[in-house]
Amino acid sequence: MGSRFLLLLLFLLTTTALLAQSPPPPAPDSQPTVQSLLDRIQQLESRISQLEERDRQKEAASVPAPAPPSAETPAQAPPATAAVVTPAPGPGAAPMQGEDHASMGEIRDIERRFPSLQIRGFGDVDFSATDQKGAISGFNLGQFVLHFASPLSEKVSFFGEVSFTAQPASYELSVERSIIRYDYNDYFKLSFGKYHTPIGYWNAAFHHGAWLQTTIARPEMVQFGGTFVPVHFVGLLAEGNIPSGWLGLGYNVGMGNGRNTNLTKAGDSGDANDNRAWVANVYARPSSLYGLQVGASVYRDKLTPQPGKNYEEWISAADVVWTKEKPEFLAEYANVHHRDVLTSNTWDSQAFYVQVAYRLPWQQSKWKPYYRFEYIHKPESDPTFVNVLDLSGSTLGVRYDITNYAAFKGEYRNSRHGVDEPRVNGAFFQTAFTF
Amino acid sequence: MTASWKNSLRVLALGWLCLALVHPLAAQRHDVDVAVVVHPDTPVSNLSLADVRKVFLGDRQYWSTNVPVVLLIRAPVARERDVVLKIIYQMSESQFKQYWIAKIFRAEAATAPKVVYSNDMANQLVTAIPGAIAFIDAKDVKPGSKVLRVDGHLPGEPGYPLR
Repeated sequence: MGSRFLLLLLFLLTTTALLAQSPPPPAPDSQPTVQSLLDRIQQLESRISQLEERDRQKEAASVPAPAPPSAETPAQAPPATAAVVTPAPGPGAAPMQGEDHASMGEIRDIERRFPSLQIRGFGDVDFSATDQKGAISGFNLGQFVLHFASPLSEKVSFFGEVSFTAQPASYELSVERSIIRYDYNDYFKLSFGKYHTPIGYWNAAFHHGAWLQTTIARPEMVQFGGTFVPVHFVGLLAEGNIPSGWLGLGYNVGMGNGRNTNLTKAGDSGDANDNRAWVANVYARPSSLYGLQVGASVYRDKLTPQPGKNYEEWISAADVVWTKEKPEFLAEYANVHHRDVLTSNTWDSQAFYVQVAYRLPWQQSKWKPYYRFEYIHKPESDPTFVNVLDLSGSTLGVRYDITNYAAFKGEYRNSRHGVDEPRVNGAFFQTAFTF
Repeated sequence: MTASWKNSLRVLALGWLCLALVHPLAAQRHDVDVAVVVHPDTPVSNLSLADVRKVFLGDRQYWSTNVPVVLLIRAPVARERDVVLKIIYQMSESQFKQYWIAKIFRAEAATAPKVVYSNDMANQLVTAIPGAIAFIDAKDVKPGSKVLRVDGHLPGEPGYPLR
């Protein structure tokens, strides 16, 4: 008998303990992090202060005891006109006692104000060491970048980006983007300014903040200061969605100055010739395959690297990306065709990269290993791509997100630049953050 | 084995059986549908889940030419936010934050979703701000609110995807 009671007691204890855990445990991804809880506490504290302040104001105002606030008691019953305008949702609809009511001040706070400037900074600190002859290992400060976004009205907004790049004697300040955009609707948005040229995926998706991208560095085909594709573009750009149902098509069409006489630079202060460049990009984001984006781009320009030397440039590019992180897959290909206007000689250069990453599920999904292979080939005789080197390289690394806004990255790279050059091994580390 | 032990084991087995039945019921108490609520003048009444995702990803920013979408989302830890992140965004909290930073500074959206701190606040704001859309626990939706059908279903109906 005693043992039966003992068993029953054991049963009661275990069931009580289990029932206490009856709400389903949240998925690992939705586990609130300490940071989010702290954020929440901060929000609640500020909310309490607002409410206390409001109470104080009410008390101060109610000293002369004016007429009772009868206007507040009856709810402003909105007309229940359509079937989708719900009545009270049945017996479960308990009055929300204890919950606060949004004041007109809160409504004003949440309504958009113009202009409404948001500033965000990005920075990174890097370390590199390679076995390349003559290379010096050590630390270097990455670009210090400030982004500005400011809606000017419901339909007009400004975006800006400036970077400070460390030079041996000083810092180089550069306006990377400056865009004013008018939104007519989802299908037509027109903007003017300096952009990241919408060729392929990476160049328009990731900007100068290294924190945004998985890896330490951009692929060399879209490297800042590189020549393979024109990273920046000054002019006008129309963009929007294309009515296409589940296919989720979108477009970018632009016209601008194209490359400067220094082919790594855009024509910020004016074009190098009297010929405008244009770019067109179409992409699909199928709704049934959330995360997938497939795109194709064409870019046309006339290059004038020296007075009297003119070359036509056609760039055609394609990209396939899976933007979710389990896995992340990015692949891009571009062909650059040059034609000497005088001699009609032509050259074709190709570049591509394939990058795969996977956000590991444990340790609050902070770890993300990745691998990238990249390749560039250009004809030796192409006179416009003197600074472009053949490349065949692999990058193997891991990203660790310290917080929601900072990450450590470590990479091993093995690459060959140029023809018949030895392969170079290197170790690279970065801490990248946004603030 | 004595009869007393056998009886004890029977009691224990019965207890565990009861627990197995009760535990899922206890868990279901928390599976209240999350309603998609919009400003009463918003010119939509039915969206597919893919369309809701498009709106909340900022890929659809206008209900009509003159009515911009205003996204309202609960602050972290709220169940509605968990449902939105899990089903709509399919992102973790940090991925969600990174997504909107990238979206804004890619110049694809002017502002991130506005944060609301309670369902009551969401109810009031969604009826006050033209173009607003919010996720509210279905039992907390106030009379007169415009609740959208998602994939043709209202909250509480079989096949409703947001729970």
